[in-house]
Amino acid sequence: MNLSRSPSLPIRTNTSTPARISVRRVLLYAVMIALVAIMVIPFAWMLSTSLKAQQYILETPPRLFPNPLTMESYTGLAERIDLARVVFNSGFVAIATTIGQIVISAMAAYAFARLQWRGRNLVFTLYLATMMVPSVVMVIPQFILIRQLGWVNTYTALIVPSLFNAFGTFLLRQSFLGLPKDFEEAAFVDGANPFTIFFRIMLPLNMPAIATLTVLSFMGSWNSYLFPLFVARKEEVITLPVALGVLQAGPRALTEWNLVMAGAVITVLPILIVYLLAQKWFVQGVVSSGIKG
Amino acid sequence: MFRKLFLVGLLVLAIGIVPALAQTTTVRYFTFSAAPDHLEDLDTIIAAFEEANPDVNVEVETAPFADYFTLLQADIVSGDAPDVFELNYENFVTYAANGTMLDLSSYLDAAAPFYPRALEAFQYEGVQLALPATFSTVLMFYNADLFDAAGIDYPTVDWTWDDVHIAATAIRALGDDTWGVYSGVQFWEFYKKAAQNGECQFFNEDMTESTINSQACVDTLNMMTSFMTDGLMPTAAQLSGVSDGDLFASGKLGMIVTGIWMIPAFSEAPFNWDVEVEPMINQHANHFFANGVAVSATTSVPEAAAAWAQFLASSEVAANVRVESSWELPALNEPAYFESYLSQTPPANRAAVFTALENPVTPPVIVRQSEMQDTVNALITRVVDGEITAQEALDQAKVELDALIAP
Repeated sequence: MNLSRSPSLPIRTNTSTPARISVRRVLLYAVMIALVAIMVIPFAWMLSTSLKAQQYILETPPRLFPNPLTMESYTGLAERIDLARVVFNSGFVAIATTIGQIVISAMAAYAFARLQWRGRNLVFTLYLATMMVPSVVMVIPQFILIRQLGWVNTYTALIVPSLFNAFGTFLLRQSFLGLPKDFEEAAFVDGANPFTIFFRIMLPLNMPAIATLTVLSFMGSWNSYLFPLFVARKEEVITLPVALGVLQAGPRALTEWNLVMAGAVITVLPILIVYLLAQKWFVQGVVSSGIKG
Repeated sequence: MFRKLFLVGLLVLAIGIVPALAQTTTVRYFTFSAAPDHLEDLDTIIAAFEEANPDVNVEVETAPFADYFTLLQADIVSGDAPDVFELNYENFVTYAANGTMLDLSSYLDAAAPFYPRALEAFQYEGVQLALPATFSTVLMFYNADLFDAAGIDYPTVDWTWDDVHIAATAIRALGDDTWGVYSGVQFWEFYKKAAQNGECQFFNEDMTESTINSQACVDTLNMMTSFMTDGLMPTAAQLSGVSDGDLFASGKLGMIVTGIWMIPAFSEAPFNWDVEVEPMINQHANHFFANGVAVSATTSVPEAAAAWAQFLASSEVAANVRVESSWELPALNEPAYFESYLSQTPPANRAAVFTALENPVTPPVIVRQSEMQDTVNALITRVVDGEITAQEALDQAKVELDALIAP
C-alpha cells in the first residue's frame, strides 16, 4: 500500500511526516509480527514439545522453552519406527511421483495449450471435471483396483495412481497460454518440430510454474496419508505419515506427544528444504498463474 | 555321454522340484494391537509358530487402531480379506452377522484352556466364529500421594460412589488444577452403573418395552453426572484436549475409572498409585471386554489360518509373551500364566483384576445395537452439557428405544 508512495517520501518535509510514517510503520510491523507469530507459534510449539520429556508435556503452566531439554523423543522414535526405512520410502515415493507428475502434466498441458486436435476442449473439460470429485470418494474404488492388480504393499501402488494430476495440467496449461506465440513461431521458422519447441522453448520459459508444481506435488505426496494407509501396510513400503499414525494411541493407551511431535519435525524438514530451494520461482509461479495451492 | 546328460537332466529337475516341494503356505495376519510397541513380541510368537509349522509363513500387516476397522472393511469389500484378523468384542457381532468369518468349531482344539465365558463371547448363534485372544476389565486407579496429601484413607473393595464423592471433595480441595475423580459419562459406563444399581434395567424381561426411564435409572444417571456438576470431575471443556488418562498420568487426578490396558501407560508415573475394584451403588458390577482373532470366511488356506489363530490365542508361548510384555492378558484359564502377571508392580493390588471379573456385566443387546448406543450417547451428552435433565433425557430415550425394538 504505502510502498508505492515511498519513493516520494524523502522529498517531503522532514518535520511532521517522519513521525506519521513511523506510527504507520510501527502499526504495520506490529500487524506483520502478529501474523508471523500466528504462523510460527505452532511450529515453535511442535519443536519445543519434541524436545521435552514425556512428563513435562502437559505441565501447567505450559513452557515454550523446554527445561530440561532432551533428545529422548527422537531416540524413542527411532526405537519404535525404522526411521531410515520409512524416510527413504516417503522420499523415494515423493520424488518419483513429483518427477512423473511434472513430465505427464507438462506434456498434457502442452497438448492442451498449443497442439490443435479434434475434441481438445472436450477432453480438457472432462479432465478438469475429475477435480470436482473429492479424492476421498475415489479411495475405495482405487484400492479395489490396486488389489486386483496385485499391487498392494508395493511402491507401484503408492506412485502410479498419483501420476495423473488434473490440477498440475491445468496450472501448466495456464502458464503455457501466457507465453507469447512469437517464440514458438520463431523456432518453427528455424525448423524446430513440436518436441524441440516443447523441450527447448516451453519448458525453460515456464520454470516458475514448474517449480510451483514441484513444490506442490512433492508436498502432496510427502504428506499423503489416506491412500498410503490403504495400500502400504508392511514395514518395507510404509511411508512416514502412516508410520507416525501408529503413534497416535487409540483410546486404550496414552499418546506420547513428544514422539508424535518429533515425527512431525522430521516430516516438515524436507518440505522446508524443497520450499526454500524453489522459493524464488514459487511465489512468481503462484502470482503469474493466479493460482494458490 | 548319455549318463552325463541324464545327470544334468536330474539336476535341472531337482532344482525345479525342490523349491516347489518346499513351497510354504502364507497366512496374512492383520492386527491393530501390535504396532508400534509389541511388534517384536509378535515376531517372537510368529517365530515359535513357524518353527512348529515349517510349511506356514505368517505375514503381518498393521494399522493404527483409529483406522483399523475402516481398512478391514475395505479389505473385505474388495474381496481380499486378510486370512486372520484381530477384532474387538464390540465389533464382533457386526462382522459375525455379515458372514465374514469362518466357523472355527471343527478346527478348535478341545484341550485349549480358554475361559469358557471368553469363548462364549465370540460365539454367534451357537457357532464359534472367533477365538478370544485377550481379555480386560475396568478398575478404579487412584493416586496414593494425593490421598496422603488430603489425609484420607485409600479406597477399599467395599467403597460405594458416596465414598468416592467424599474422597474426591477432599482431593479437589488440594488445588485449583487438581481434580477429584474421572469416570466417563457415556453408554458403556451407564449400562455398567445401571447393573451396579441393580434396579435399573434398559428393557423389561421379555424385551417388549424399554424401562430406561425408571426412577432407578434416573438416579443412576444423576449420580454419574453429579461429580461434574459438583465440580469434582473436569468437563470436556475443562480438559480442553487433554485425555483423562493424561490428566491422571500428570498427577493432577485423584481417581480414574479406566481399563487395565492403561497399566503399562501409568507404570512410569512419577507418583505412587494403586488399583481397586470399582465402587458400587448397591452391588458390584464390572466390565468384561475381550479381543479376538478370526479367520476370514473367504481364506484359501483355512487349515493354516485356523492353526495360526489358535496358536496366537492359546499357545503357551503367546500367553507368556503377552504377560511378560504387559501386552494384555491371555483369555486362558491357566493360573500359572497369571502368577507372573500378579507379581508385577505397580499396581500392588493387581489381584483386583480377577476380583472384578467375578461380577462381569455385558451390554444390553438388541438387533439395532449401534443405533441404541448412538441414541443413548447423544441424550447423555445433552444431560452432561446441561441442556436437559436426566429424567427428560431418559423419557426421550424410552420413546426412541421402544421404536428400535418395535417388531
